[in-house]
Amino acid sequence: MKLRLFICAALAAGALLAQGLDPKKLTEPPVDSWPTYNGDYSGRRFSTLSDINANNIRTLSLAWMYRLQTGSEGGAIKSTPLLVNGVLYFTIPDHVFAVDARSGRELWHYRWNSKGGWHLGNRGVGIYGDWLYFETPDCNLVSLHLKDGSERWRKPICDLDRYYTATVAPVVIKNHIIVGVSGDDLDIPGYLESRDPETGDLQWHWSTVPKPGEPGSETWPNAEAMAHGGGMTWVPSTYDPELNLLYLGTGNPQPVIAGKAREGSNLFTESIVALHLDTGKMAWYFQASPHDTHDWDAVETPVLFDGEIDGKPRKLLAQASRNGYFFVLDRTNGKNIVTAPFVKANWAKGIDSKGTPIPNPEKEPQIDGALVSPNQGGAANWPPPSFSPATGLFYVNATRGFSEYYIYDDSDKPEGWGGNDRGGAGQAMLQALDYKTGKPRWTHKWEGQSAHSGVLSTAGNLVFTGDPSNNFVVLNAATGQPLWHANLDSSVSNGPITYKLDNTQYVVVGAGDTLFGFAMLPTDK
Amino acid sequence: MITEIIVLLFAPLQRFCETNWVRLGAGLAFSVAILGAQAPAGLPEGPGRATTQRICGACHSPTIVVGHNQTAEQWKDTVTNMVVRGAKGTPAELTEVTNYLTKSFPPNGAAPAAPGRAAPRPPRRFGAGPDDQQVVDAAAAERGKSLYSTDCATCHGPQARGTNNGPDLVRSVVVLHDRYGDTLGPFLKTNHPLSNDRHLPALSENQVKDLSHFLHQQMGNTLRTGPYTKVLNVLTGDAHAGAAYFNGPGGCNKCHSPTGDLAGIASKYDPATLQQRFLFPRAVGFGRRGIATTKPTNLTVTPANGAPVSGTLVHLDDFMVSVRDASGNYYSWKRTPDLKVEKQDPYAAHDELLDKYTDRDIHNVVAYLETLK
Repeated sequence: MKLRLFICAALAAGALLAQGLDPKKLTEPPVDSWPTYNGDYSGRRFSTLSDINANNIRTLSLAWMYRLQTGSEGGAIKSTPLLVNGVLYFTIPDHVFAVDARSGRELWHYRWNSKGGWHLGNRGVGIYGDWLYFETPDCNLVSLHLKDGSERWRKPICDLDRYYTATVAPVVIKNHIIVGVSGDDLDIPGYLESRDPETGDLQWHWSTVPKPGEPGSETWPNAEAMAHGGGMTWVPSTYDPELNLLYLGTGNPQPVIAGKAREGSNLFTESIVALHLDTGKMAWYFQASPHDTHDWDAVETPVLFDGEIDGKPRKLLAQASRNGYFFVLDRTNGKNIVTAPFVKANWAKGIDSKGTPIPNPEKEPQIDGALVSPNQGGAANWPPPSFSPATGLFYVNATRGFSEYYIYDDSDKPEGWGGNDRGGAGQAMLQALDYKTGKPRWTHKWEGQSAHSGVLSTAGNLVFTGDPSNNFVVLNAATGQPLWHANLDSSVSNGPITYKLDNTQYVVVGAGDTLFGFAMLPTDK
Repeated sequence: MITEIIVLLFAPLQRFCETNWVRLGAGLAFSVAILGAQAPAGLPEGPGRATTQRICGACHSPTIVVGHNQTAEQWKDTVTNMVVRGAKGTPAELTEVTNYLTKSFPPNGAAPAAPGRAAPRPPRRFGAGPDDQQVVDAAAAERGKSLYSTDCATCHGPQARGTNNGPDLVRSVVVLHDRYGDTLGPFLKTNHPLSNDRHLPALSENQVKDLSHFLHQQMGNTLRTGPYTKVLNVLTGDAHAGAAYFNGPGGCNKCHSPTGDLAGIASKYDPATLQQRFLFPRAVGFGRRGIATTKPTNLTVTPANGAPVSGTLVHLDDFMVSVRDASGNYYSWKRTPDLKVEKQDPYAAHDELLDKYTDRDIHNVVAYLETLK
């Protein structure tokens, strides 16, 4: 008995020592960990695990659930949990949770005392060694100790009085904490920062919108429009270790809807941008929506994979953008390879020589209204898509929607939003896009108007996502045939993840205020 | 349904998980640390609070509305937009939510206030911007406006949005950091470019406060939740062309009649609502007489070895279908290849038109409908 106690104590000590994240895990395919927002830096959300597969999916069962006890401070779990050493770490605005990945048992819960800001959603945490990082709606980057959730330090990263807020999950790469900011209310410039993991101090600051005289400034009418030009960094970046380039999408220009006082294409808003990781200097950009007036942030995850174009191997980047277009770029230089609508859109007159859609001015918001598709919710939005190297397909929950866009402020210098869209109708669907053409290999239409669930694909020939009717659904990755579902009483509100611990493959998904752990029990031997 | 599944699954799985728990080592059994504990302030009490919390909380923190002070019309717009974005509720529930929001979060300064004093409001928790943002005193803002018009508007513009001679004050960091004149006062005294100039008038402490209220009011009016978020004018079309479209390419007359179901429609809805209603009839719409009810979708479900059942759609997804028949009986089925489901969507023709209308057609139809008083 004594010996057994000793072993238990030793094991416990071992577990404690091994609590931190081994940096090696960040460069391997995620199997027994999910160490960064997208599982790995590529943004593919593809798992090599196949214990759960198209043949046995019908026996997938619920292993545990963890329901938030945060009362009216609740809201849906939009964060992707990180898994490090058997523990899941995830957030809602102002709250961080650590739960056992095998049982859903809570280890600790940290609550931030907020001073305000938009409590719209929080994408999750970043982890470096023994430390965890998250952003708060009231503009702080906070570092906690992984083992017990106690606070190490807090650093202001934006100005709450200017109506900045923060929603993004920090991404940890080497010794950089990549931090983004959000906020759309009062005409503020967007930026991305790299911060020191030890101290939180600033390493570099990249501003979405240029200053007068800098490249891109020719796409703005004046210094004031630039200083208030928007371009928020709402969604976690992806990264190519070989090229040492960081990839991010930038948000809409501001003022959001009434663009009269910002004539021009408004670079580098609504763009896919590559930055040098160590300096924050821009390597290249590709603009998805010039002079946007529809709130179509081009922040959707830029997904990195290697593929074949015209018989030649290429390093690619793909984005299913909120404006309805699927873009494939050469990620070494940003050159466009494919531009194709992944749902029918009515706002562009054509495609220019760089592959960027040309906006039709008649489909800008009007005083008496303009019927526009997609609507403000977008053809896609922040929920993460997935790319499977096994099928060569890019999976995204898409919406074909319409709404009427209005100008409310018809003055020469509108500010804030100055308009909005109203009403709407839509058709939700899961699209499986062939990256070589941008055309859907298959489309699975959902019953419902819009789908806002993330996607996971696996080597088990499976795609995991949510439908508009609160179902967590698993489909055949090659054909789109639904194979399994469970109604979770709330829409799938984050990107599902999967991992294998103790010879058991788990799938974890958030729906509303509850995190569900499903598992495939190994056959008894 | 899901509860039963959970109960059935939980017993064996709990054992399975406990086994793993032991293997992991007791060292992981950390104490639960709820740090910075302070009772969370929630939504103010009032009828409809629970419904609001449930429907809005499905997607975001329900307290997001706190500090968004809007008129009844604006709250209706907000709720309408949220329904399009996925909020789920019956018309009665959505009316309850709208009424709760309207009562709990009236526009700045709209709540009854003693003359010259700030309107009492519940303490702010969340919403856009800082919790401690200035509570605008409408009377002080009015006094500040007079001061502003005389002393500042020449350079900073009538709406404080700046001119070539002076910066925009709505976006000014000095103003945004200011609370009741505490930043503005010292700035005007020492840092304003005209501070050392006789042209800048010396303001009393109260005058600075009044000016501060006016500028914060201008800032609040600029926010998307401010008072100027109205559709300006949709009556730009030609009623004759609208009638021609209605009876011709639009095919509206196949289902509707200006002397039948549409008689007096323009008295029921204002023009902007009218436009939204025919474009997106499925979206919830607020008329002059309250929330508009949408027509139900009817389904006929025929099992392989059974009689067809017709009723209104209760639920339809890839896996399940359920209807309520005319007698109020509820039926539900698992969807299988040999279960026939026929949908009679009353708005299918409206959806098809979305791909056909030009914006001109739309405005012409509104102009025509507006003649049906």
